[in-house]
Amino acid sequence: MLVVTCPVCGAKGDETDFHYGGQAHIRRPATHDPVNISDEEQRDYLFIRNNPKGLHFERWRCDRGCGKWFHAARDTQSLEFKAFYGIIELPPEELQKEAKGPWADYFKKRAKAKA
Amino acid sequence: MLEARFESALAQRSAPENIYIDMREISERGMIDLRGQTSDRKFTAAARAVLGTDLPKEPRTSATWGDAKILWLSPDQWLITCPRGKAQDLTNALVKELGDTHSLAINVSDMRAIIRLEGEFAREVVMKGSTLDLTDGDYTPGTVRRMRFAEIAALLHIVEEKTIDIYVFRSYAHYAWDFLVKAARKGSEVRLFPNSG
Amino acid sequence: MSGKPYRLSKGGSRIDRSQPISFSFDGKTLSGLAGDTLATAVMASGQKLFGRSFKYHRPRGVVGLGAEEMNALVGVGAGARHEPNLRATQVELYSGLTSISQNRWPSLSFDVGAFNSLFSRFFPGGFYYKTFMWPQAFWKHVYEPFIRRAAGLGKAADERDPDAYEHMHIHADVVVVGGGIAGLTATEAAAVSGARVLLIDENPVLGGIADITAGKAGDSSVADLAKEIAARVAKLPNVHVLTRTTAAGHYHHNYMLAFERVADHDPALLAAGAPRHRLWRIRAGHVILATGALERPIAFANNDRPGIMLAAAARAMVERYGVAPGTSGVVFTNNDDAYLTAFVLKKAGVAVRVVDSRARPEGDLPKLAMADRIEVDAGSVISVVEGSSGVTAVKIAAYRRGQGRVITEKKVACDFVAMSGGFNPVLHLWCHNGGKIRFDDALASFRPHTHGDAITAAGGANGTMSVAETLTEAAAAGEAAAKSVNGKVKASKIKLPKVEEPKRGALETLWFAPATGKYNQGNKHFIDFQNDVTAADLELAQREGYESVEHTKRYTTFGMATDQGKTSNINGLGVLSEATGKPIPEIGITTFRPPYTPYSFGSIAGALTKDLFLPVRRTPIFQWHVDRGAVFEPVGQWRRAYTYPEPGEDKHRSINREILCVRNKVGLLDASTLGKIEIKGPDAAEFLDRMYTNTFSTLKVGKCRYGLMMNELGFLTDDGVTVRLDEDHFLMHTTSGGADRIAAWLEEWLQTEWTQYKVFVTPVTEQWAQFAIAGPRAREVLAKLEPDFHFSNEAFPHMSFKTGKLGGYPVRIFRISFSGEQSYEVATPANLGRGLWDAIMEAGKEFGIAPYGTEALHVLRAEKGYIVIGDETDGTTTPYDVGLDGLVSKKKADFIGKRSLEQAYLKGPNRKQLVGLLTEDPNEVLPDGAYAVRTVKDKPPMEMIGQVTSTYMSPTLNRSIAMALIENGRARMGEVISFPLEGGKVVKAKITGAVFYDKDGGRIHA
Repeated sequence: MLVVTCPVCGAKGDETDFHYGGQAHIRRPATHDPVNISDEEQRDYLFIRNNPKGLHFERWRCDRGCGKWFHAARDTQSLEFKAFYGIIELPPEELQKEAKGPWADYFKKRAKAKA
Repeated sequence: MLEARFESALAQRSAPENIYIDMREISERGMIDLRGQTSDRKFTAAARAVLGTDLPKEPRTSATWGDAKILWLSPDQWLITCPRGKAQDLTNALVKELGDTHSLAINVSDMRAIIRLEGEFAREVVMKGSTLDLTDGDYTPGTVRRMRFAEIAALLHIVEEKTIDIYVFRSYAHYAWDFLVKAARKGSEVRLFPNSG
Repeated sequence: MSGKPYRLSKGGSRIDRSQPISFSFDGKTLSGLAGDTLATAVMASGQKLFGRSFKYHRPRGVVGLGAEEMNALVGVGAGARHEPNLRATQVELYSGLTSISQNRWPSLSFDVGAFNSLFSRFFPGGFYYKTFMWPQAFWKHVYEPFIRRAAGLGKAADERDPDAYEHMHIHADVVVVGGGIAGLTATEAAAVSGARVLLIDENPVLGGIADITAGKAGDSSVADLAKEIAARVAKLPNVHVLTRTTAAGHYHHNYMLAFERVADHDPALLAAGAPRHRLWRIRAGHVILATGALERPIAFANNDRPGIMLAAAARAMVERYGVAPGTSGVVFTNNDDAYLTAFVLKKAGVAVRVVDSRARPEGDLPKLAMADRIEVDAGSVISVVEGSSGVTAVKIAAYRRGQGRVITEKKVACDFVAMSGGFNPVLHLWCHNGGKIRFDDALASFRPHTHGDAITAAGGANGTMSVAETLTEAAAAGEAAAKSVNGKVKASKIKLPKVEEPKRGALETLWFAPATGKYNQGNKHFIDFQNDVTAADLELAQREGYESVEHTKRYTTFGMATDQGKTSNINGLGVLSEATGKPIPEIGITTFRPPYTPYSFGSIAGALTKDLFLPVRRTPIFQWHVDRGAVFEPVGQWRRAYTYPEPGEDKHRSINREILCVRNKVGLLDASTLGKIEIKGPDAAEFLDRMYTNTFSTLKVGKCRYGLMMNELGFLTDDGVTVRLDEDHFLMHTTSGGADRIAAWLEEWLQTEWTQYKVFVTPVTEQWAQFAIAGPRAREVLAKLEPDFHFSNEAFPHMSFKTGKLGGYPVRIFRISFSGEQSYEVATPANLGRGLWDAIMEAGKEFGIAPYGTEALHVLRAEKGYIVIGDETDGTTTPYDVGLDGLVSKKKADFIGKRSLEQAYLKGPNRKQLVGLLTEDPNEVLPDGAYAVRTVKDKPPMEMIGQVTSTYMSPTLNRSIAMALIENGRARMGEVISFPLEGGKVVKAKITGAVFYDKDGGRIHA
């Protein structure tokens, strides 16, 4: 039974007071360009997910609290939460650097796009 | 035609016996659900103009003005409670004052049932169904928190040190009531941290 | 198996000799004393036999002191209150207690199954796997019943449990498990440092084994020290103490479960309203394990005979209960601690001698024993025990470490043995959530190593055996825990007493005491008493190739069941180590899993039984439905009226009557469960265009529109009518089951994708009681209630909305229909619902109004070909599949699920499509879910081409109707397809359109 803290309202409680919402930072192609989406792009959006052993980024909702969605960085092995951050935010810099595999690629790509 | 006949959620439940706290349904309060953005000064000003006080912005707090209470539900949502007879007028006043401001005020007086628990052990009875630590100093009078209670969603309002209101959706009122009657059964006292005074 | 009584004439710190207590064991009335356990009371009466073993049905007696007891499992309580598999050592005696032994037939002293023992050569490790393999058909009727009858432990009560149970939540900065001197000291240290501390102990009395521990603390005995700390701790405002409570499991983020036996020891508490058991759900900042160490048995031949106990248990029987384990005993040990047992026995007047495997025991206690003229056979072991249902003698043989067999031995008469093979720190809780442990050679056991959680071990649990070191370690652990949770600690510290205790000599590892003859030949050296696993079984498993300890565990069943390896684990590893020549750390250790000891199903269920088992949602009209004799059906957590049979009517007839009443007159439906969500903001219309497949921005104020919702996969998830209350304000209706889900769904998209939208979403389902008044006379009923209201087609056409008053009730009225009839849905605030319902029923009397339930509703809508999400859709159904292409916008650039509908796998041919079905025989109603096949064959497999989604006998059409999803269904109109049913019957049906009644829809607008 994990302890979760909502970064929006500060409520801290058992995971049963929250709702797990799957992987974070998934871009919905149709919001940006509803016309030019390849079948592969749509497939990846719907079905392809990271499954790291270690640092992972996910969505949660303060289901029995303020009702707001937020992000969490969690170690899937130790189950330790490394950070809670806003639903339209990226994780803290140091965690972006710590991320491995597909997550590392993702954050690099985001940084490049921004630059 | 006859006047509309009123029947609260727990009207058919009799007063419980053999329990170690006091417990009753509060059916005389009306409720208004108010949505708006605190960053919108027009919204906060309009709310203040009608309610007579600022909306509480601090999470899990409440504010009182006269016979109305404003309970924080979310950064953009409040539950205003007032005497039932005034709820529709107050809603209308809010809607009028808010005008075109992005907001939503709805009279939801019948959506929830309120169960009031009073007594030395009110907190411990709630803790039989909730993971919250009501013995923690954070839960001072005025504190409001939504929670999972037994198997349902509920809203907790610490009215006074030993008085707690539990708000549940109307359809779950019997379930919540029956759970509380069972949890508060005499002989099942726990007395958490018995020397803490 | 009764002999002389074993109650000593004096002594017994826990018993009250002035309070005799009458109880029964196996139907025999016995007398014990207040403070006794069931184990000590029975033994005091002269009975040593408590049960028979699992596989060989060997007679077994009490071995342990508490939770580690593996033999004396008993059933306690009568009838509905009977609870099996309790450890007699933990059952507190009360007046009128009834108990039975287990695993014997027909009686304890004469057991048919004991013949297993005679043939035990044929019951080696892995016996079950080897013997009951073939033929497979024998499993169900021969092997399994045999195994179940012959083996198995106690029987559960077969009546409903009459008692109450509950859960309780508690949060503590520091949770200390174990109330011995380590736990008490840690508790006090953490508490005076300012932490809120929860102390949990499984025994009725705090103190652990302080009362049977040697040494002095200041001027007090160790026992008195424990009492003093316990008394101080009990007064602290920031300490909560739980006794009779077992910390059963440790989980992520320091979550723990503890099981409190609130009233098991005192039926009067139950009668006064106490729950029988309470499950504590605990959140700890820091956990301190002061769970102590359990003494381990030694594997010597016939080491399972009744009368062979652990040394500390024998000592505690005398000290606490004034019960002697026998008249003449042998203490068999490889360490110093067991000498204390010899002293206690001698002092109590029981004849005793010591067998010590160590050639030169060097501690203070062995020296004291020799000075005290206790006979000690050093460098010796017990090679075999004589006697079958008890101990009559032991043979003592000279021994040196590593020796495989015994050549010479001497026989010594005795009637009990107290054994000690050393101590195992209790690491169960440490390991539950992945704590690492390491082997300690001096201890010859595992100790805590690393852990990912905020958890520490102190005292025996940490392998620390000295009193002085335990106190220092526990105080430090308590302070550190308080500091780690609260950041800083108060300056006050507890003062530790000066401790004097005997100097301990080293323990000598002894996993297996050799017997005469070849390795283990003809004798049983039990490792796991509860599962009847011997040293030879483990050795055999090794030879057969079960090299991994995890495989050995499953093959031999060692370390399983309620024992969970408490006494067997390390000994088993020791035997495996010697058999393989590998050191124990290389053998590995099997995992300890929760719970530490079993806890009751009642406590797991807590208060959530009977009416509270599942939350049941009631509409404001619920009681009316009950009073009217409605049959209910669950819809999500709601209970909805399914139909209202009148006296003499069966359900079928009442449903038909209700349907015809709606078609011909007027019916009233409680539709309060429908989901209702208010959506408001300048972007509300655009937002709804994103959520629905069809367009809502074009909807006019005061009008209603039916909408379809998909998920991102392109599959239908919900439908309902949405009303435009104002330019920027909508009221959405969802399915009854979908209300919460859809409200959360809308919020999710607003918060995570279209964050720029100014839209508020507020669910208001429960604010409203809502009824459908449907049928050709609906308008007349409403007009009678409110003559001034304009209900005409012109003033109030289909798919429009009005607010106003109805018979004095404030209402929202929607002219919408799910029955195909002229229909108005009326909503009034929930607390006025019952009044309005009564008013409508009264007003409708003259028009023949009757309530109709959900089944009539379903038939009415099926006659009209209206889909139900979850019936006509199954989570893989698109709007195209159900023929609602017209509701999927071609103009909107984007809405949820749109792009997925273009994916190749949804566009391909041969999708199943919604069609109507008319059976060839109009009286034949297809079963729900029946499969249509391409070609009927004699037996499966047959190729399936679709399935029935809704099927009814329609009283309106006086024939059966059905809807189905059929491969390419819309291209197959008129085709007759086959539905093979069970028993070889085949039903044929013609594919038609799905609208069976009033195809032009005229009745809705009537």
